[in-house]
Amino acid sequence: MSQRKRSKVSGFSQGDDGDEDFNVSQTPTHSQVQRNLERRSQDQVNQKVSELVQFLLVKDQKKIPIKRADILKKVIREYRDVYSEIINRAGRTLQEVFGLQLVEIDTRHHIYILTSNLPRAEGENLRRDNQTAKLGLLIIILSFIFMRGNSAKDGAVWEFLRRLRVQPGERHEVFGDVKKLVTEEFVRQKYLEITPIPLTDPPEFKYQWGPRAAKETSKKDVLRFVAKIQGKDPTFWTSQYTEAEATP
Amino acid sequence: MSEASGSGDLSSSWSSGAELPSTSRNGAVPQRTQSRLSSRPPASGDEGEEPEASGERPTQPEGAGDERSRRMIRNQYRELIYNVQQNREDMLSSKSNRLTEALEEANKLFSGVSCAREAVLDAQFLVLASNLGKEKANELHSEMTAFDSLAFAEDLLTFMGINRIEVEDNDSDSEGISGGYLPSNAWQKLGEETEKYFRRAPSFHYMLGSFKSDPPVPRQRIERQKKATGGEEKRAMPAQLKKMEESHQEATEKEVERILGLLQTHFKNDPDTPISFFDLVIDPNSFARTVENIFHVSFIIRDGFARLKLDDDKLPIIEPSKDNEGREDDRGAGARNQVVLSLSHQEWKEIVETYEITEPMISPPCQRNEDEMEIP
Repeated sequence: MSQRKRSKVSGFSQGDDGDEDFNVSQTPTHSQVQRNLERRSQDQVNQKVSELVQFLLVKDQKKIPIKRADILKKVIREYRDVYSEIINRAGRTLQEVFGLQLVEIDTRHHIYILTSNLPRAEGENLRRDNQTAKLGLLIIILSFIFMRGNSAKDGAVWEFLRRLRVQPGERHEVFGDVKKLVTEEFVRQKYLEITPIPLTDPPEFKYQWGPRAAKETSKKDVLRFVAKIQGKDPTFWTSQYTEAEATP
Repeated sequence: MSEASGSGDLSSSWSSGAELPSTSRNGAVPQRTQSRLSSRPPASGDEGEEPEASGERPTQPEGAGDERSRRMIRNQYRELIYNVQQNREDMLSSKSNRLTEALEEANKLFSGVSCAREAVLDAQFLVLASNLGKEKANELHSEMTAFDSLAFAEDLLTFMGINRIEVEDNDSDSEGISGGYLPSNAWQKLGEETEKYFRRAPSFHYMLGSFKSDPPVPRQRIERQKKATGGEEKRAMPAQLKKMEESHQEATEKEVERILGLLQTHFKNDPDTPISFFDLVIDPNSFARTVENIFHVSFIIRDGFARLKLDDDKLPIIEPSKDNEGREDDRGAGARNQVVLSLSHQEWKEIVETYEITEPMISPPCQRNEDEMEIP
């Protein structure tokens, strides 16, 4: 928190320049970075690394992917000539200290998320909030999409959810505005991708897994979940099973 | 399309199979029937008759009563289409025969169809049904068991600890939702199970608490600022007003007292002769000063220090009140007189000339700068 404030305050003195994307797009080569690194004091670079670690941790709280542009603007700033080194070191720190992995889910727009590398300890959920419940809703939708062949129409998804007492038009006692949660929050968090189906009137939408879903869970895990719920072996669904086994 | 010729062709087309434009429409019937037959052989028994029935129908003459039955058919088609659209999942379920049933119903309806309008609806339904058929086929992979979303939903509800008090009497009905009551921790329970399947970076919390999430902070800040400035303005405003009022009040009071002093010295010098009101108030150099003098003098009169009356020439004069008692009397009797005095700029000029006033009796207060109000 204080981290952010600090960077914001000093941001004023530096002034906002809008062309940071442009600057970074001409990625310096490895040797250039090394040369630039020599010009900086190690303390300063390490300071930036820990600032970035803190920034990433705080930013991840809402599970909204972190854009490189934001990292540059809020943390790296005048150190952008050694950007790649800072982000690598921050990734290492996250890995070694927190057991988290910094994953670039979109290499074109440079969007990062954090995933956990450690197996989740059983019964160690210290924090109880409706994030957990939301995850339940999410895995149901992800399961539905996967089991239906990696894509499902919006009508089918909502009809399925209706069976679970989740109505898009009604306020849900746990999720509140469910429609918003599914079509906005999950999409923004990159768990879901919703694309309109061309030439449909009224417009229909296709629900698919978003990049975060693929990183945080896997087809294998989702199939395991479905199998557990239905009291069957994952091999029961032959084609889904082969597909899940084939995906890393 | 002409009805008469169309219907004639229709009846013949069944027997002859002649390729006329209208046959393509009805050609859908046997095709559809066939597809349905393959999916559900037991129904084949009564299928064969239907095309004949529809073949006979158009030969009947078209009348006014027909319009009503046509409307009814259209209505039934729309209802059927709507029902199918609303219950897609049910239609797609490998267990239910809903799609077959819907097709049968459409077949029955089609036996009454004679005009293009109804046929269009039939075609529309056919598009819908074939889309569903395609989806159904997609789900059916030869060697594997299809994913049954209805069963999955039921198992999920069971996992979440649904309390099925009600007997499922409405199963596979229009809603397709089985009864039962979900406990309040249902989703929490499912969520806890779910966490095992996610490599989700755990969100942390501050042991000593923290600021709540980001967005409210700037909003609060704005509110606080607004409140603060609003408060200051509020506080500043009355202070300013008070001051103005005070100073104004003071100035008026001072003026009144000064004039009273002037008046009293006059009375002392010459106790019995009243002073002409105009002599007193008119300032020959300034109309505005004149008006102000009248204003101030009115206070003196209100407070009973002097009396205003008309002399024999019906001209206003001002005279001292006799003593304190009289003053008290006036007040006590509630003699609050109102006098409306009009004085235009023109009249002021005339008075100055008539009374030959050259100098103001009430000298303008020195501290006041009223040059801009002066009239040349």
